Amino acid sequence: MALLELKKVSKSYPHSKGNLRVLEEMSFSVERGEFIAIVGPSGCGKSTLLRIISGIVPPTSGQVLYNGQQVDGINPECAMVFQSFALLPWLSVKANIELGLEARGVAPAERERLATLYIDKVGLDGFEEAYPRELSGGMKQRVGLARALAVEPAVLLMDEPFSALDALTAIGLREELLDIWQAPDSPVETIMMVTHVIEEAVELADRILVLTPGPGRLAGDLKVDLARPRDRRTEPFNNLTDKVFSMIEERA
Amino acid sequence: MNTRRLLSTALSIFIVAALLALFFGFRRHAPTFHAPQLSVSTRNLPYYAFCSFYRMLAAYAVALVFSVAYGMSAARGPMWERWMIPAIDIAQSVPVIGFFPAAIYFFVAFAHGRLGVELAAIFLIFTSQAWNLALGVFESMRTIPGDSRDALEAFGAGGWLRFKRLSLPACVSKLVYNSILSWVAGWYFLIACEIITAGPARYRLPGLGSYLMEAADRGRAAELVAGLGALLVIIVAMDVVVWQPLTVWAEKFRYEFASGAAEPIRSLGMMEALGAIGPDFYHVIHIALRPIIGVARALVEAIPPLGLHRREQLLRFGRGIGFATIAALWALFLYALLRGLVALVSALRTPWPAEARLIPAATVASTIRMVLAYGISLGWTLPCALAASDNPRFSRRLAPIAEIVGSMPATALFPIIVVFVIRVTGGMNLASILLILTGMQWYLLFNLLAGAKQIPEDLKEAARAYRLTRIATWRKLTLPALVPSIVTGSITAWGGGWNALILSEYFVYRSKTYKVLGLGALLDVATYETGNSLMTLLSLLSMVVVVIGLNRLIWRRMYNVATDRYRLD
Repeated sequence: MALLELKKVSKSYPHSKGNLRVLEEMSFSVERGEFIAIVGPSGCGKSTLLRIISGIVPPTSGQVLYNGQQVDGINPECAMVFQSFALLPWLSVKANIELGLEARGVAPAERERLATLYIDKVGLDGFEEAYPRELSGGMKQRVGLARALAVEPAVLLMDEPFSALDALTAIGLREELLDIWQAPDSPVETIMMVTHVIEEAVELADRILVLTPGPGRLAGDLKVDLARPRDRRTEPFNNLTDKVFSMIEERA
Repeated sequence: MNTRRLLSTALSIFIVAALLALFFGFRRHAPTFHAPQLSVSTRNLPYYAFCSFYRMLAAYAVALVFSVAYGMSAARGPMWERWMIPAIDIAQSVPVIGFFPAAIYFFVAFAHGRLGVELAAIFLIFTSQAWNLALGVFESMRTIPGDSRDALEAFGAGGWLRFKRLSLPACVSKLVYNSILSWVAGWYFLIACEIITAGPARYRLPGLGSYLMEAADRGRAAELVAGLGALLVIIVAMDVVVWQPLTVWAEKFRYEFASGAAEPIRSLGMMEALGAIGPDFYHVIHIALRPIIGVARALVEAIPPLGLHRREQLLRFGRGIGFATIAALWALFLYALLRGLVALVSALRTPWPAEARLIPAATVASTIRMVLAYGISLGWTLPCALAASDNPRFSRRLAPIAEIVGSMPATALFPIIVVFVIRVTGGMNLASILLILTGMQWYLLFNLLAGAKQIPEDLKEAARAYRLTRIATWRKLTLPALVPSIVTGSITAWGGGWNALILSEYFVYRSKTYKVLGLGALLDVATYETGNSLMTLLSLLSMVVVVIGLNRLIWRRMYNVATDRYRLD
């Protein structure tokens, strides 16, 4: 049985001139242990799709099934990482990381333990009492990542996590993400990442879902069979990138 | 002219009219309270100062709770916002005297004697503090980034956690700044709030406000100065011990990219020495309170966390009560509106007093005075802002002086100003314009200075790099960049001006009455002299009509233009 299954999920928003259709009958499934990348140009509803999967936004029609069960409301097995980091400026790094645990009613001692564990895993040891304004972009996203990991989710949802970072920092964080995911003691088995950078998708993912805008539709589902770590300069890599690009272009 | 806007303006005016009429109708039932004779001896000054201070504090505490509850409710959705924000707009346009009857009816009639009058005074001070706090909370809630909300929701955070970790901290920055302004407004109207008059009923409470009034009335200059001195001491002490440390602490809560116009002008120039005492003092208090806070925290955390199911039940129960309360309030409001309508109609049917004929002319006269005062205010604050944008040291020097002088209630100095100007010119007209000025200029100055501070450095550098002359820089960069601040400053300045108008056009000093032809004077005469409730109602309504009319038809439009075209993004 698939871990996550979307059946004809659509989303419309009320608009001054009628309804704005953002997503049109999205259907696909995700197996346990897969790294899925969702690519598409802006306006194709990628972020909305991720929020529907997490449960923050309810679909207008269609179903989201997790382990065969319909999901109503927030899915506690998912945790999300945001493009803008979404850290609270008045909380320290440790308090920000503990926020997800606090929301789930975890006891203070246990929160402390998990926060310390994951601060370490993302390499921010020593920065527990720092405040977000004192951190660089890359460090802030590490805090966002630690916050998501601390609740030990089965599925990690990432909304363009590296777009707001400079290229060099992003390269480093991509590698770290793979390390964390592939580590034997990692609670996260499945990752769904939204990105508009095709190379990033080909570098990281097992499968690429291609979305086209107006309204958001699934244009293609590509398997990436290359062994990790992947080299951007090889021919298979570039062929895949071209294929994704042409998929977006021909449906545009 | 937009029909919808016209209709909503008319509706607002109607609601105010009905409610005011309702309370005026009930005034007859208010019992009289014979205040003890007020002693003007300086020996009683500490006691009076204490009384006034605790009244301000009590009003502020209530205003704080109210504004958090109200602002957060209004931010919950467009359905709520649509009626809650206009309600505050309307409340803001009713001058404090307009609340006298409500104060008397509710508090004095229900709680007899001194307690009732105290509560009435606290309520009146509350009305001068609460509205801008509530608007500040509302704006803060609306500028919380969507991603932060999504993050908390995605982790399954419940209502209380969202409130504690997201909503409340997000409001701190604006709340601190608006609190400073609220206290300034409170001090300004202290005099009016400690002497509550409505027709035959006259209530006077021991306090700094009534002390100053009494001293001025009897012409006791030394005691007047002593009273002003006491006020100054309290204001400076609060600034050093409370506001400065709070502002520094509130910095922690600002979102980096949100550089709203509500940035306080906290400089460490002249006030550095005094300001240094402040944080230490605060630190000492914090250490003293730590054991108590520790105990409190231990108690709260000892409460076992409710299971998810029970929490859901509690939430649903709470929501049910919330709905019931709101439904009850709506019912009460509509009932009050109906009775008010009846009272309004019957009041308007009674024979109109002769003075009512003067209302149109008085309105024009008052508006002219407001325009003149506004022109003078702009005339000196704008150059200050230009100078401040060119010369940061100037603004650092100016800011603390402006703060202290601006928070001194000019109302306390009115007697001196009035007598002096009359001796020079022989008439009240100039004096009243000067008095209105004191209620207008500080709002303008603070907004302009804040706006000047926010002009991005790189734009100024570009102007320098392109060798723009000073005048050209002012014309092309500084003035356009200041437009949003000019507009917001003007809106608040006119609001303050209308309130000051009431205190500026009519004055009793040493049993001599000084007044001019104006709306404020008509209102004061009706309130304090003749006690004619219909006249009070009519002049109050005329003022509200003008205020709301100007707000909707002029200021709202200018604000939209200013934030659209002239926003620095």
